Amino acid sequence: MDGKINSKSAGETLGEAERTRFADLLAAIAARQDRPAYSELFAYYAPRVKSYLLRLGADGPLAEEITQDVMVTVWRKAALFDRTQASVSTWIFRIARNRRIDLFRRAKRPELDPEEEMILPSGVPAPDARIEAMEIETRVRTAMDDLPSEQVQLLKLAFYEGLSHSEIAARLDMPLGTVKSRIRLAFAKMKAKLGDE
Amino acid sequence: MIRVTQDTRLDEASWAALASGRAEPALGLFIDTLMEIRGIGELEGDALSGAALEAETPAELSADALAMAFAAIERGGAPRARPLAYPELAGLPAQLRSAISDAEHRTTWKTIGPGIRRLDLGSRGGFKAEMIRVDAGKSVPWHSHKGRELTLCVHGEYRDGLATYGPGDFSVTDGSVRHQPKAYESGPAYALAVTDAGLRFEGVLGALQKLFGH
Repeated sequence: MDGKINSKSAGETLGEAERTRFADLLAAIAARQDRPAYSELFAYYAPRVKSYLLRLGADGPLAEEITQDVMVTVWRKAALFDRTQASVSTWIFRIARNRRIDLFRRAKRPELDPEEEMILPSGVPAPDARIEAMEIETRVRTAMDDLPSEQVQLLKLAFYEGLSHSEIAARLDMPLGTVKSRIRLAFAKMKAKLGDE
Repeated sequence: MIRVTQDTRLDEASWAALASGRAEPALGLFIDTLMEIRGIGELEGDALSGAALEAETPAELSADALAMAFAAIERGGAPRARPLAYPELAGLPAQLRSAISDAEHRTTWKTIGPGIRRLDLGSRGGFKAEMIRVDAGKSVPWHSHKGRELTLCVHGEYRDGLATYGPGDFSVTDGSVRHQPKAYESGPAYALAVTDAGLRFEGVLGALQKLFGH
C-alpha cells in the first residue's frame, strides 16, 4: 500500500482511485483487523467527521466524543461495508448521521455495545446495481464541481445537514418560496448532471 | 388506509421531507428499514453527503484521538455475535437488527395477547417504535392509539381485511381504521410499527407515497 491520501486539502473530493484505496483499507480492517489501514482511514475521516458534527451544532468535546464513537463503529462494522453499494465516505456519513441523534438526546451511553452483532446483510446486489452505485458516486462529485456554488450549498444544507426548507430559509435569511424554488432548480440540475432518464 | 407497493423517483421536496423525518429516530428507523428491504438506496442524496464529508475542512482532533479509538476497540474485544431472541430475524437490515438487539438488552418481548408479542424499541420526540410478532395463524386485536400508525412488514406474511403484506409492504392507519392483521399458517410474521401522537407524519407520508405509491 502506498501513496497516502491524507494530505488532501480542504474542499476537494476524492478521485476514483482514492475511493478505491479507502475501500481496500476498510476491506483490510474487516479481513485481518489491519491497524495501519485503520490509522490511515482514521487520519483522513476522523477530522472530517468532527467538522460535520461541529457544523451540526455540537460543541468541541461532544463532537470529539461522537467522532470517536463513529470511528470505533467503522472498525467494528467494517465487515458490513459493501463497496458495490456506496463509497467509504458515503458509508461513514451514514454512520455519522445515525449518531447525530446523540446530539439531540444526551442519554448516558458511555460506549458502544460491544455485543452488537456482526452479520453480513442479506442480499447481493445485481451486477448492474453495482455499476450504477460506483457511477453515481463519480457523477455526483463531477456535478458538485460543475454546479454554481450557491446551488451546491443549498443541496448540502438539505441533504448533508438535513435541514428542512424553512430551516434553510432562516439560515440564509431568504424567503421560504425562494428557497423552495432554488432548491428545486438545484436538484433538477443535479439530476440532469447525473444523466437521469 | 394506504397500501403502497410501487417504486417511483423522488422529487426534491420529498427528499427534504424524508431527510427531516430521519432526524426523528423512530421514523428514521422506519424509513431506512423500508428502503433497505425494498433495495432503494437514496444513493444520490447520500453520495452527495459523502462527497461533502470529503470536502470538509478537517477539524483538529486531540493528539491522542487515534490511541483512544484503539483503546476503545481493545476494551470491546473481538465483536461477539449475540443471537437475537428469534433467529429468523438475523436477516433483517442492520439498523433494525441493532435496534432490536439494543431493546432486547434493555427489556424483553412482552405477550400482549394469544400468540402476539411486542418489543418496545423506545419512544422519543412524540414517536414510538415497536416490533410486533404474530404467531402463525394468529391475529392481532390491533391496539388502538390516538395518532396514526405506520406498519411495515419485515418478515413473514400477514393479511388484514384489505390486503396481504410481505416484507417491504406497509400500511398507514389512523385511529378510525380497525384492521386485524392475521399471520399466515406458514410461519410467524413480524412488523415494525411506528406511531405518532398527531399530525407529525404529514410531510413524510407524502414523500413515502411519492416514493412507493400513487
